[in-house]
Amino acid sequence: MAQPARAQGATNYWFVGTSLIFAKLQTRDGETAVANDDPGLVRLLAKLGAALSYDPGQRYLIVTSGDRRTIVFTLDDARYTVAGLTQRAPFAPYAVGGSVYVPLEALAKALYVLPLAREGAVILQPQIGSLDVRTQNSVTTVTLRSALPVKFARTSAAGDERLTLALGAVSTSLPPEREVSGSAALHGLSFQAGGSARNPSTTVAFEVAPGTAHALAPSHSPNELVVAFSTRAAALAGPPVPAAGDFSSGGTGLAMRSAAEGSPSAPTNEYAPLPSDVPVREALPPPALQPVAHVTSVDALPAGDALSVRISVSGPVAYEWHRLADNRWYVDLKNAVLDVPAREEASRTAGVLSLRVKQLSPDPEPIVRVALSLASPRRVDVQPSAGGFTIAVGADDDLDAQRVGAGRITAGAIVADAVPMAPNPAAPASALTDFLAKFAPAPGAVRLPVGTNPRLIVIDPGHGGSDYGAQHNGLTEKDLTLDISKRLRAVLIARGWQVKMTRDTDVDVFAPNDSAHDELQARCDVANQAGARMFVSVHINSFTSSALDGTTTYYYKNADVGLSEAIHRHLADALKTADRGVRKENFYVIHHTTMPAVLIETAFLSNPGDAALLKSPAFLQQVAVSIADGISDYASNAPQVNVSPPDGL
Amino acid sequence: MKALRAVLLLALAAAIGYFLYRQVVQPKPIAADTITVYYCKADGETLVPWKVTLGPARDRRSVAFYATAQALAGPVSGVEAIRFPAGTIARSVTVSGDTATVDLSKDVGSQPGGSFAESGEFKALVWTLTGLPGISKVRVLVAGVAVPTLPGGHLELDEPLARSNW
Repeated sequence: MAQPARAQGATNYWFVGTSLIFAKLQTRDGETAVANDDPGLVRLLAKLGAALSYDPGQRYLIVTSGDRRTIVFTLDDARYTVAGLTQRAPFAPYAVGGSVYVPLEALAKALYVLPLAREGAVILQPQIGSLDVRTQNSVTTVTLRSALPVKFARTSAAGDERLTLALGAVSTSLPPEREVSGSAALHGLSFQAGGSARNPSTTVAFEVAPGTAHALAPSHSPNELVVAFSTRAAALAGPPVPAAGDFSSGGTGLAMRSAAEGSPSAPTNEYAPLPSDVPVREALPPPALQPVAHVTSVDALPAGDALSVRISVSGPVAYEWHRLADNRWYVDLKNAVLDVPAREEASRTAGVLSLRVKQLSPDPEPIVRVALSLASPRRVDVQPSAGGFTIAVGADDDLDAQRVGAGRITAGAIVADAVPMAPNPAAPASALTDFLAKFAPAPGAVRLPVGTNPRLIVIDPGHGGSDYGAQHNGLTEKDLTLDISKRLRAVLIARGWQVKMTRDTDVDVFAPNDSAHDELQARCDVANQAGARMFVSVHINSFTSSALDGTTTYYYKNADVGLSEAIHRHLADALKTADRGVRKENFYVIHHTTMPAVLIETAFLSNPGDAALLKSPAFLQQVAVSIADGISDYASNAPQVNVSPPDGL
Repeated sequence: MKALRAVLLLALAAAIGYFLYRQVVQPKPIAADTITVYYCKADGETLVPWKVTLGPARDRRSVAFYATAQALAGPVSGVEAIRFPAGTIARSVTVSGDTATVDLSKDVGSQPGGSFAESGEFKALVWTLTGLPGISKVRVLVAGVAVPTLPGGHLELDEPLARSNW
């Protein structure tokens, strides 16, 4: 017969040398019951690395220990389980108000905490709760699981075969001696209690065979210490056990570190900044480095049904023209500034509806655009003229008119124009004409959506500003993504692409400490509003286990597949990283961009090998070049015709 | 005669209504003694199912909560798996129609940076919950709020997740 619960009188509780105050204790059937929301319990669980979950709408109360065992209580049922093994509590957990009361002693013991009654107080003493010894392939692995995140000091000398470790703040009720059979390296281990009941410590001595080496093995929980022994030092993967160690406060907690090391989260910049003379494959210098040309006048000269537009330019200028399906025609003068006012006017010529002249200032270069709305598919020629060139709109239609062309004006002479329908292999190759050939109409060509700028790539350097991304091995994701993106921008511009970056400094794209939605949507908006043809988001991966490495390219939409495969092919071929393949994942920025988009996880900065690569400027440059190669492949293998006006026309 | 027919029709309608209520409206308790919980191996690809014995509470909401807590805990620490950050708990789990809504504590966002881990974590959670009868989608909240992604995260969370996401 269960006694009614009653509030408990003041009992002093001690935990690792400090007093622990419980506010919601009751006595039930002579046992102490604690409420799930008692601040003392919450504090205890936090120190143990454990977490409690309970939702009043249902009947389970589940505690997960630091080493990921689950302890399951059920409302109104005295049975509970610890890592799946059923036990019986002195009373069934019960609800009072919104709280559930569970047996404190049963919960503590399940978490490797031993309650000891001493002089009117209760000491909650953390224990080394389990010992696991395994031998496989000449390596013997010892796993100790503790109530608390492990803290230790090595008391044997460095390089000593015998290993002794003093573990702070824990006692143990495990047998003091343990013989190990079947291991050539480890004969046995022993525990010796030290300290006081309120502030215990335990020394673990490992008795090893002569010539045995030991190493700290990766563990999967802060509450777990794993040491490997072998008579063959080469069989051991990890570093020797350091003089002292605890789990880094970095949050992931899976790599033990020497206490002598500096803070692992201190941001350092160990990789070299982007060199100004970025080597690129193309001989064509980046247009942005050329002097800016000035457009000094634009004169419309009607001649009957035809129209000539004479444009005066201060110096050499590259241009590119497009004919759109709805009889609009425009020419962009690149790296050019409009010295006369922008204008938009109706034409007095029958064949031309309107003329517009305006300055565009897209990243990376200023552009002057002259646009015509034609009444019908009129013939349009670009001709050199004194101090510039003339756009001649004919009186007749040209139904087979080309849709795109480009060239360069030098002192009244046009160097190149009119990209051939099929590139002539014998013609002198120019990166620009090669590039523009991709826009020539091809059978079965895919039409880009209205508003697409066929030359514009948006690069999204992942994270930035208040969002650092991942941090490991002295590397910070937001810095690396920006470095690679700047290199990629240089390579793409050199190959004739226009590039817009969602950020090109260390900033949040939307606002500092903004919401994830605002931040990620702002990145998508940059690409969507500019009508980018492709979107490339550059990221660096990380994981709690340093063993993981390699390069992954992610897509989400069907439209992303071709681009992701092309880019990944080049990354996998050129980088000396593990190939983790192309994967589908619903990542926000590739889902909410309207053009082919990819998210590249370049490498794992949590992996020592990948981290070393990420510290090399040559590697970062190779990443950029490989992405650019993939973009070029994709663009040339999927010829697309621009049939709709780019932004700003 | 007419009255008798009306009474019979009414009784039939009531019986059908009650049957539908039992079958559709009132969720059936889970009959099985075990549920299948998944974790994602460290390769980021392989989902490993493991059987977990259910506790005595078998109502739909308790079972969904139980399954969520097991998926968040993952396998015991000796097993290498992609894991939710330590301290991540389910603040509440509710089931409405075919959608389970899981409200996670903000600890879930305490390991920023790794899209790799996010993917493996949520894949395992979604497969676990959608393995329960009648659940095909999982809506994720963080600290009671719908979020587009975790803070500094990648995986989109503002739409319910389903197995078909992967």
